[in-house]
Amino acid sequence: MINHISDLYGRQISSAELSAAILELPEVKRRPAIQLKPSLMCSRCGSRLKRSQANLPNGQYYCYVCIQMKRMDTLHDLAFVDEPNQFTKVSDALSWEGQLTPLQAECAEQVVRIFKKRQHHLLWAVTGAGKTEMLFKGIEWAVRYGKRICIASPRVDVCIELFPRIQAAFAKTSIVLLHGKSEQPYKYSQITICTTHQLLRFYHAFDVLIIDEVDVFPFSGNPMLHFGVNNAIKTAGSMLYLTATPDKHLLTQARKGRPSISYLPIRYHGHLLPEPTIIKIKGLSQGIDNNRLDKRVLKMIRQLMSQQQRFLLFVPHIKDLAAVATAIKDAGIIAKYDTVFAADPERLEKVSAMRHHELDFIITTTILERGVTFPGIDVLVLKADNDIFSAAALIQIAGRVGRSSDRPTGRVLFYAEARAANIRSCQRQIRKMNRKAAEI
Amino acid sequence: MTNCLLCQSSLRHTTSFDEMMSLAPAQARQLCEECAADFFRLDSVATCVKCGRRLKAEMSNPCYDCERWQQQISFDFQNRALYEYNSAMKDYMKRYKFLGDYRLRFIFAKEVKKAVTWQKRLLVPIPVNAGTMATRGFNQVTGLLKGCSLVEALKTSQTVKDKRQSEKGRADRLRLIQPFELVEPQIERISGKDVTIIDDVYTTGTTIRHAASLLYQAGATSVIGITLAR
Repeated sequence: MINHISDLYGRQISSAELSAAILELPEVKRRPAIQLKPSLMCSRCGSRLKRSQANLPNGQYYCYVCIQMKRMDTLHDLAFVDEPNQFTKVSDALSWEGQLTPLQAECAEQVVRIFKKRQHHLLWAVTGAGKTEMLFKGIEWAVRYGKRICIASPRVDVCIELFPRIQAAFAKTSIVLLHGKSEQPYKYSQITICTTHQLLRFYHAFDVLIIDEVDVFPFSGNPMLHFGVNNAIKTAGSMLYLTATPDKHLLTQARKGRPSISYLPIRYHGHLLPEPTIIKIKGLSQGIDNNRLDKRVLKMIRQLMSQQQRFLLFVPHIKDLAAVATAIKDAGIIAKYDTVFAADPERLEKVSAMRHHELDFIITTTILERGVTFPGIDVLVLKADNDIFSAAALIQIAGRVGRSSDRPTGRVLFYAEARAANIRSCQRQIRKMNRKAAEI
Repeated sequence: MTNCLLCQSSLRHTTSFDEMMSLAPAQARQLCEECAADFFRLDSVATCVKCGRRLKAEMSNPCYDCERWQQQISFDFQNRALYEYNSAMKDYMKRYKFLGDYRLRFIFAKEVKKAVTWQKRLLVPIPVNAGTMATRGFNQVTGLLKGCSLVEALKTSQTVKDKRQSEKGRADRLRLIQPFELVEPQIERISGKDVTIIDDVYTTGTTIRHAASLLYQAGATSVIGITLAR
């Protein structure tokens, strides 16, 4: 239940969630939650609804698409309040004292220009380029002028990792972290860090909207979330897309000029991206199905353990997790490890355990392919030739390695039955980026 | 291509040999196999004759709760439940009732209809109060009874509901005073009839027994209950 008007600034909430006193205030505007004409459409998520599915008794309708975020229906209105930008203008908001490399600094200046000119822009930077740090200047500029800022990502892990970094860099600015599982209540703040789903609750709120890892599920190819983004940003707001692997859709748009595009092929420490080594193993898939791992894989795991080298072990399917874990246990390897997948109820705890060096390695699905940094790790990919691993996914996975300047290299091992198209494409793209980086 | 109503995974329709040979139209599935397997049907296990709960080895039949009920009430009442109220059912109720995803009625509507119509009895659904109707927009019980002819002989008498049923403890619920009233013009339709009361969940059995006692007052010959879950 919403009791304070500031909780509605720049937001859109069903009138069912508002107290009667709030609903009577003159600044609270309303529009229908479900549009009946020309066809049935949800005002919050933009989904076209089928009448046969969306009907309630007595000629009422509801949206069954975004229902997880409280129901939109014809029994209630969608209430919203204009964004008042009630922030004190602070000129030295940035408390980060790190150094940018000359290339990063150039990119950071460009980000400021983009925000000033209210552009829509795609920043295509390789994995480990130091994207977050390059945003600081731009955010500082936005804070100085009392703008409202949002950093959104499709992946909750990315948001959780971003939050403390942004908080440390902008210690004096109000920041809120929003995602489906968060216990932190909503509070009107200058900087919002949230999953792209949460954007559905905002309406013309942000002067600056940054979308990190824009090419990834569930955002990519999801019209509902794109609709949400376009509603959350102010009409004259600036949008910045960040990714190391833009998808076709975004590149096609960029070719037409909106968003504009820039490219950063080199990592912040100046070293090249580690190239994957492909190890062909016959019957790898079948072995895993029978809870067995090839001796070459086991040997590598033993070697990594003896060197106290931490790593991530990627598998394509959830059912492979248990099989691989069993195989490792049966081989008599003693180590602290765990398995993790998207719907794992303890996912956040396990990732945090890995981050705090309580685990030697994690066996994971593609959920940890991006947005997470465990300094100095190696990666192993089992069944790299599986369709689940797109070329972009493999590039992201390889990009987990060599991110710290202490250890700018590392092993990227793809175990596969064949050098399939996705692996070849991944290798080609990494080599291409490395060639471009070498030119600089 | 349709999707599972609970987990949204796409449903590939595999036609069995029997279906191929049959002239009856193919049944559209609402759930994927994984989600469907999470619900526990009570028709193939031992259940309490009075309330329909699944009986564990050490339990008597009728169960302990029902023996207590028999000392407290003067009329005969039996309930049958289609499913156990397990975590899948709890989650379903949360989404169907409290989130208000009215589409989810399709999952059980056919089964409920079959269960309530195989005997020729008068069907009386448990009503929801006006406040719930205004915000939720539907009665979760009648939602499950599509295509059945219903006699809506009951209405809620408390105009303001202080707490949701599901937010009360057992003691609170048992203390509950009669929450229903008879709807005047329907009373004569009850008299001399065999009546089935339908509810979504049987928890303590208080609600449905209150309803039963009113229907006996209105002259029903026999009253039984059918609930989706127990």
